[in-house]
Amino acid sequence: MSDTDKKFTILAVDDTPENLDVVKGILTPEFIVKAATSGAMALKIAEKQAPDLILLDIMMPEMDGYEVCRRLKADEQTRDIPVIFLTAMDQTTDEAQGFGLGAADYMTKPVNPPILQARVRTHLALKQSMDELQSAYSIIKRHKERMEQELNVGRDIQMSMLPLEFPAFPDRKEFDIHALLKPAREVGGDFYDFFFISENEICLIVGDVSGKGVPAALFMAVTKTMIKTRAADDHSPASIVTRVNDELSADNPASMFVTLFLGIVNLQTGGFRYTNAGHNPPYILRSGGNLQCLDQRHGPIIAAVEGVAFKETAAELGRGDTVLIFTDGVTEAMDTGQQLYSESRLEDLLGRVQDRQPDQLTNSVILGVEEFATGAEQADDITILAFCLDQDPEHIEHDRLDLIAKFDLAEIDRVNDAFNQFAESHSISASIKQKVNIALDDLLNNVISYAHENSQGHEIEIGFDYSQGRLVITVSDDGIPFNPFDRVGPDTTLSIEERELGGLGVLLVTELMDEYAYQRNRDSNVVTLQINTETPKN
Amino acid sequence: MDITVKESGDVKIVVFEGNLDTNTAPAAEDEINGLIDGGTLKLLVNFEKLDYISSAGLRVLLATAKKLKPSSGDLKICCLNATVQEVFDISGFASILSVSSTEEEALGSF
Repeated sequence: MSDTDKKFTILAVDDTPENLDVVKGILTPEFIVKAATSGAMALKIAEKQAPDLILLDIMMPEMDGYEVCRRLKADEQTRDIPVIFLTAMDQTTDEAQGFGLGAADYMTKPVNPPILQARVRTHLALKQSMDELQSAYSIIKRHKERMEQELNVGRDIQMSMLPLEFPAFPDRKEFDIHALLKPAREVGGDFYDFFFISENEICLIVGDVSGKGVPAALFMAVTKTMIKTRAADDHSPASIVTRVNDELSADNPASMFVTLFLGIVNLQTGGFRYTNAGHNPPYILRSGGNLQCLDQRHGPIIAAVEGVAFKETAAELGRGDTVLIFTDGVTEAMDTGQQLYSESRLEDLLGRVQDRQPDQLTNSVILGVEEFATGAEQADDITILAFCLDQDPEHIEHDRLDLIAKFDLAEIDRVNDAFNQFAESHSISASIKQKVNIALDDLLNNVISYAHENSQGHEIEIGFDYSQGRLVITVSDDGIPFNPFDRVGPDTTLSIEERELGGLGVLLVTELMDEYAYQRNRDSNVVTLQINTETPKN
Repeated sequence: MDITVKESGDVKIVVFEGNLDTNTAPAAEDEINGLIDGGTLKLLVNFEKLDYISSAGLRVLLATAKKLKPSSGDLKICCLNATVQEVFDISGFASILSVSSTEEEALGSF
């Protein structure tokens, strides 16, 4: 024990001064003994001087020992002081009542000096242990709360950096992408990203930062930003990774590192170049059913060693091929028997899945892992990104109408007239035409009125894509970020007097169309509407 | 859009032809306001020749109904095509405005 030198203070309570003298004689000089000759006096001393232990007589005038004990235990300040009853009452029922009130011990007079000394020592030691445990517990609790809070903040930062809205590029029909990240309770650090680096090249990233909490999340943010910045003017995966690695390793006091897979797909040619920096190998699911493991390694983990020249591999993606990039949270997921999910189980699952659409595929994988690991705690983040180069759009009959409109309300009529001609040439029914006219009127009115303070020189692009009975309309403008679907529509159940005049436009658009989506691109708003022209919507 | 105004007793019948949308709503509102300012209390809007109505058109109808209400006037609407009916259902206008399927029926309900 830390403070054995400290002398403990014992409060002895007895209405007979001779008894007090006896106790004093036994416990001095090992302990400091204070005396009280009544219950009231005992309570006063107990409160003011906080003795380490109280020896309490039971039979006393005015306030007996039981009552004193009851009051001591009822007071926050004194309740933890151990009380030993020291009494001539030797009935078992008295003893039981004493313990019932929370006494630490019960001894009968006449006292046996060595036994009294021993019991006092025992209870003081017990009390001290309890105190230490209590304070250790509160320290642990505080630390644990702080740690959890830190982990939560880290998790929030991590999740806030991921693109979570799908479909991510509703106006791009030549590919499909889906990703999900299932965070583990504690350890984590996974991330993914995808973004266009030119009109027809998309960059796909999956990584895993060592460590956890806020430091890992911030490191991840820095890594992601560096990659994106580099990729803006450098379209070689090897070169991007090499430069990002140099920058990160040069100033990395926390010695964190990242496993990274970075690939760039050319959507026109299907060219797929990628660099794997210490990451687990992704797969290509070929449209014919073959599974190809991309097991080339192009360098070590990044942020660890400066001056590494990373390499890259060039592959070809055919139409209908899907790339599956993931973190080791998938293959190293453990079941209750500590077995790993492993590459072989994943390959088995990938060979069996029927629907290879990215969103279906990522879900199938996560379900497979979850089923395998049922009952076991998820030890690491699980991230899965699937990218599919869709069937050649050339093979599907498409008809397009692309229009450019100025920020002028009169342009709405021109757009609607042009669409009506397009619709008539494709025998689209009058009611579908009317619905599209209404949707365009309301959508364009919104865009033209609110996108720019000064719209001089700005334009709105409107595209109509009609294939297999489905009409897809995209409206994109370079105005301030504005998601029309964020707004809550008006309450349509109010009376004439209560209803406000505006706000119905968005409601009409969302109700009249079969599907609607909003996407903020780097500097444009893109609204996509879809309507099936063959079976009228009810 | 063409607007024609007919009379039937003390009811003014406004017939809209074409679309009631962002670009035509102001003219429609002016026409109706002119009638109300001239003392018209009973107004029937006939949509027989209307192709579609967007929220800008709905706004004019609601504003008109609000104006007529305090002076015990009345706005009635008739002859909606399927799309206009759908818009009325979505917006809740079908339940706050008096809608009839024919002009006769509407006139009889004043």
